[in-house]
Amino acid sequence: MRRVLLITTMMFTVWSTFGQLKTRRKAPKFSVGQNKKNTFLQKQFWVGFKAGTNLSQADPIKRYAVISATNYAAATLDKNYTSFQDLGSQATLEVTFQFKNLSISTQPTYSHNVITYSNQFQWINTQAANQSLSQKYSQRQGLDYMTLPLLLKYDVVGNRLRGYVHAGIFYSFLINALKTVTVSGVDIASGGTNNIASQPLIVGTKDLFTNYWGLMGGIGANYQMGNVKLVLDVTYKKGMSNITNVKNRFSNDQLSGIGDAQDDLKLNNIVISAGVLFPMRFLNSSFKSSDQN
Amino acid sequence: MLPFLNRLLFLVAILMLTNCANNSDPAADKSNFTRIFDNTQFNVSYYPIDMVQTLDGGYLVLGGRSLATSSFSGTYIMKADAFGNFVSGQEVDEKLVDPIGQLMYLNDKYYFFCMTAVGLQTQLIEIDATGAITNQTNVGTTYPAAAAQDGKNFLLSSYDNVNQLSVISSLTADGNINQSKGYTIGAGSNVDAPIVAHFVHTGPQLPFQVGKNAAGQYFFNGFYNYTFSLVFTDLVSTNPLGVVQGQQSSGGMSAVLSLDGGNYSVSLFNYGSNSLLPSARISSTSVTSATDLPGNSFPELVANATVRILPITLGTKSYILYGSTTKSKQIALYAYDKTSFKFSGSKYLGFSNPFEIASMTTTADGGLAVCGTTYVAGRFPRICLFKISMGTLQGSFE
Repeated sequence: MRRVLLITTMMFTVWSTFGQLKTRRKAPKFSVGQNKKNTFLQKQFWVGFKAGTNLSQADPIKRYAVISATNYAAATLDKNYTSFQDLGSQATLEVTFQFKNLSISTQPTYSHNVITYSNQFQWINTQAANQSLSQKYSQRQGLDYMTLPLLLKYDVVGNRLRGYVHAGIFYSFLINALKTVTVSGVDIASGGTNNIASQPLIVGTKDLFTNYWGLMGGIGANYQMGNVKLVLDVTYKKGMSNITNVKNRFSNDQLSGIGDAQDDLKLNNIVISAGVLFPMRFLNSSFKSSDQN
Repeated sequence: MLPFLNRLLFLVAILMLTNCANNSDPAADKSNFTRIFDNTQFNVSYYPIDMVQTLDGGYLVLGGRSLATSSFSGTYIMKADAFGNFVSGQEVDEKLVDPIGQLMYLNDKYYFFCMTAVGLQTQLIEIDATGAITNQTNVGTTYPAAAAQDGKNFLLSSYDNVNQLSVISSLTADGNINQSKGYTIGAGSNVDAPIVAHFVHTGPQLPFQVGKNAAGQYFFNGFYNYTFSLVFTDLVSTNPLGVVQGQQSSGGMSAVLSLDGGNYSVSLFNYGSNSLLPSARISSTSVTSATDLPGNSFPELVANATVRILPITLGTKSYILYGSTTKSKQIALYAYDKTSFKFSGSKYLGFSNPFEIASMTTTADGGLAVCGTTYVAGRFPRICLFKISMGTLQGSFE
């Protein structure tokens, strides 16, 4: 599905770009005053598509565990989260209103984010060194969100190639969540080294999460290609609220049974997107979009 | 377009304001949780026997533990806080073995019975809400099998191995026996083999129980006249008032809850099969057979399953709640309407690793706590505790 979307976007981009480059029309005549015309020409709507990849970081607010340690430190039960290592993806529809160098933009985004963590346990017989079992629970949590951001953009430098900064807020609606748990371990109590590896346990976990909001900011650049803009930006999204559904933390028996309880988390992302923006009107005498003046 | 953006901004702001408060919720954390109390020792095993909620909202668990030097089980007392977090665990001296339920509350103290490893003398142990032992009283009987609270007194079922008697006693909180009566298990040299096997954990664990019915008659579930039977007594008469006979050690009642009049909620076991009967009329003045009681068959339960029966009220509805262990090694809860005795719903606890029921109790917030044994990593017996809110139960039973 993502491939189809990507191919469609690329085809539309190429068609639109070259189609507009080839177009030759007579320039319209204006009967309005020059100042009013200039102001009008400095406004532009842009609509386009972006897609790309993201890296996620789970930021624990409060930690929870099903396992309660009776003879070892409770801190050893803390989940070990990876940070900005697991690739996700996203597709974005961008609608931007531009006035001079300043733009306001909303960029509804469907994103797939991945966070991973692991727990390690060990059982040993202090009187018999050959009686030992270690187990590692590796968990990969996929989270799909529909995000509605509201951004302010400011074009800082350049003409045909322009850099910009943007910042804003977003609200993310949870669409789906799926967890994959893999258990591995080493049992040396069975007369040898028994390497244990289980089949992955795949569990729907939508009930364990909820919507959240956050702040976002980043930098980007757009390249004017004919009347369209090619866009590349990098955005940091800082989750500001808990993504965990606190009332359903222990509701999944499959996960509770193997000792997993969802921490309270904030979700941060680094989002890299590339795409194309199309002007919604062409008003100047040379049929160029406003920012080509 | 600008009005659209304004509306979008307004919508986002409203959504944020209404959803920002998804903070940690201590009330939710207390009302629903699952805990597994793990120990890194490869060669130890802990299992719960009974559990109560203490006045501070925490949980006090009476448990057993494996002993390297004895076939009897050792005694383990564990305290968890209101969130189910481990607070303390006490491995009681190996001189005190085979603790039994119920864990009883009287005058701000908690009590249970166990016996001495040497002499097999029944001991009444008094503990405080933290699980610390505050007193120990020698009761005098042998082989304690089951206990229950009777107002300010305790009821005790025990086995007299010298005279081969099932003994039922009423005791004060000081451990003094008010009344006691023994009933023969039957003459012969090998009749008590299942009983001894139960105590030394070399045979099936038998569902010994003691209590008092709505008519004020005492009863015990134990051996009488070669058969595992439900025996009614007034603690005075030489012979039982009534008996519901089982099938030697292979059948009988696995749990009994007295309702009103001659009504009981019971569960039956019979050569491995199990059946639940939320409403049974049982005569306490005649000799009948457990096999004549028509129960609802539950082939999903393990053979001769441990069953717990608890009356519970959720909002405006009251239920008879059965708890047991399935062949798929989950803890199963079955609810029957307390008025109509019709099946109302079920709920299953535990997954992935094996889970077995030990005890369940209602909690101060109207919910349910279930304590059991799980096998961590599929092999290490550990105590587990489930707390289920009233709302969650209502969702399962209504």
